[in-house]
Amino acid sequence: MTGIEFFTSDCPEKTGGDYYERIAADVLQDMNLLRVISKLHVSVDPTVPLFIVVGVIRKLPGIVKVHDFASLQVQGNRITLSIGNETYLAPFLKFLWDRYGKANVEQPDRWTVVLTVPEGGAEGFEELPVYDPREDIFRDLMYAMICIQPEGFKVRKEAYVDGKFYFVASEDTLPEDVVERQVREKFALIGEEL
Amino acid sequence: MILEPITYKGGLYRHEEMVELIEDLGGYIIQLQQIAGDIIILALVPKEDLDLVRAIAKPINGEVKVSPLVGTEIAVVSMSLEIHHLPHATCDVAEYLRQFGAKTNVIGLARGFGKRIAQLNVEERDVINEHDCAILLYGNFEECIRHKNPKISRGITVPIIATGAPDKEALMKCIDPPVEGYVGGLGRLAHRAKRPEELAKLEEMVAEVSRVLDLRRTEIYKDPLSVAPPRLMDLIIEKVEAIHEVTSPTPVTVQMAGLRVKLPYEVYADTLRNLELEQGVRLGDIADVTPSRMRTYIWVQVRPFSETKVMV
Repeated sequence: MTGIEFFTSDCPEKTGGDYYERIAADVLQDMNLLRVISKLHVSVDPTVPLFIVVGVIRKLPGIVKVHDFASLQVQGNRITLSIGNETYLAPFLKFLWDRYGKANVEQPDRWTVVLTVPEGGAEGFEELPVYDPREDIFRDLMYAMICIQPEGFKVRKEAYVDGKFYFVASEDTLPEDVVERQVREKFALIGEEL
Repeated sequence: MILEPITYKGGLYRHEEMVELIEDLGGYIIQLQQIAGDIIILALVPKEDLDLVRAIAKPINGEVKVSPLVGTEIAVVSMSLEIHHLPHATCDVAEYLRQFGAKTNVIGLARGFGKRIAQLNVEERDVINEHDCAILLYGNFEECIRHKNPKISRGITVPIIATGAPDKEALMKCIDPPVEGYVGGLGRLAHRAKRPEELAKLEEMVAEVSRVLDLRRTEIYKDPLSVAPPRLMDLIIEKVEAIHEVTSPTPVTVQMAGLRVKLPYEVYADTLRNLELEQGVRLGDIADVTPSRMRTYIWVQVRPFSETKVMV
C-alpha cells in the first residue's frame, strides 16, 4: 500500500487473513487514511474470536489557532475578524457562540465576523485554539476500523496514545489483561512499544 | 416443446418484429425492458426455432444470447445490510446473475452476522423459501462458516448455494449439513469485483447456480406441472385487468414452479382462484394461491400433473 511504510497481518486461516489485508487496504484508501498511518498490523483470530489493529500515526498538523486563518482589528471591546480561510469557519463560529453567546457574534458578510467581548477579552484572542485535527483523524480512523472488522464484533476497545493507536473488537467480553497482553504483543511485531 | 431461455438486446427500432416473432412461435416474453433507446427482452422460445430468432435479429442489429437463468427467481442472502456486506459482494452477485436472465431479490438478514450470534428469523426463512434457490453469501473464515451455517440454513427448503472465501473443498468440509452448491473464493470484499480472477469467480457462481437449478428442472420434468408458469403468466396478463395497473417492472414474476403476482392478496386472491384457464379448468383447481410474505403479494404454486390429472 502506498503511504504505509510497514503493513503486516496475522491470522490462523491464511485465505481469511489475505482477504482481511485486502479489505483493510481498500477501506483505508477509500477514506484517504493511507497517508496518515506509518505502521499498521491487522490481526484476526476467528477461533476466539478477536480482531486487533495496532498502528502508528504520522506527525499530524498542530492545533489550529485564530491567527492561522483570520486577521483581527480591535476597537475597544469590539473585534472585527477578516476570515482568510473558510475551512475552519464552522467550528470557529460554534466556538464563539459557546464562549460569548450568539447575541455577541455577528456575521455581516461571508468573510467578516464582528464580536463584542467583555472588558480585556481581546487580549490573547489570536492565540485561542479553534480546532484540533487529531480528534477528527482519530474518529475517522476508528470508523475505518469498524468497517474493516468482521461484522458483529460489538465489544470494542480503542485508544490513541502518543501517536500510537489500537483497536480491539470481539463478539464476547474478554478479560482485560488478555487484551492488554495481546495488544502489547502486536505492537512488538511492528517494532513499537505501548 | 422444449423452451430455450434467451435474452434479446437491441434497439428500439423494429423491436416489435421480435416481440411478434416470439409470440407467433409459441414462446413467452418474461420481461420487456426499455432503457433509453435500448430494448432488453427476456423470453422463452422453442429450441428448434432459436436459429430463426437469431436470423431475424441480425438485420435489426439485435443480439440473441442463451440465458440459462431466465424464468427463475433467486434469493441473494446477505448476512446484514451493513457496509460490511453491501454493496460488495452482495450487489456484485445479484447484478451478475441478472445478466444471465435471473430475477434476483437481495435479502438482508437482521442478525445474520457473527459466529456465535448469527440467527435467521421466521419471516426471513419464509421469504427465502418463496424463491427457486437461495445464495448464502458467507464471509472469509472457515471457522465462522462452520458455526454459522447450521443456524442460517435451518428451515430453508429451497436449494442452497453457499459462497465464501475458503476454496470449494474447504467449504464442502466445513458446511454441515451439506448444501446443494458451493462457490469458493467469493468472500467478503470492500471493492467492486472487477479483476479477471474475481469475474471468473462470478462466472463460476453462475455455472454452479445453473447446475443446481438444472437438477431442480429435471425433477420437475419427471412430474410435469399442470400448467407451465410462463403460460400461466400470459393467461393472467390476458384475463386479469388489474395487473396492467401495477407499476413494477415484472407485475407477474415467473418462477420455476409458480408465480408471484404483484396484486394485493386480500382483494385479488379469489379472482385468481376463479380464473378460468381453459374449458372449465380454474386456477384454483391446479394451483395453490397463497399470500406471499413479500409485501401483500400473491404467491401461486402450481401443482404437478400427478396431483391434479389436468394439463393446461
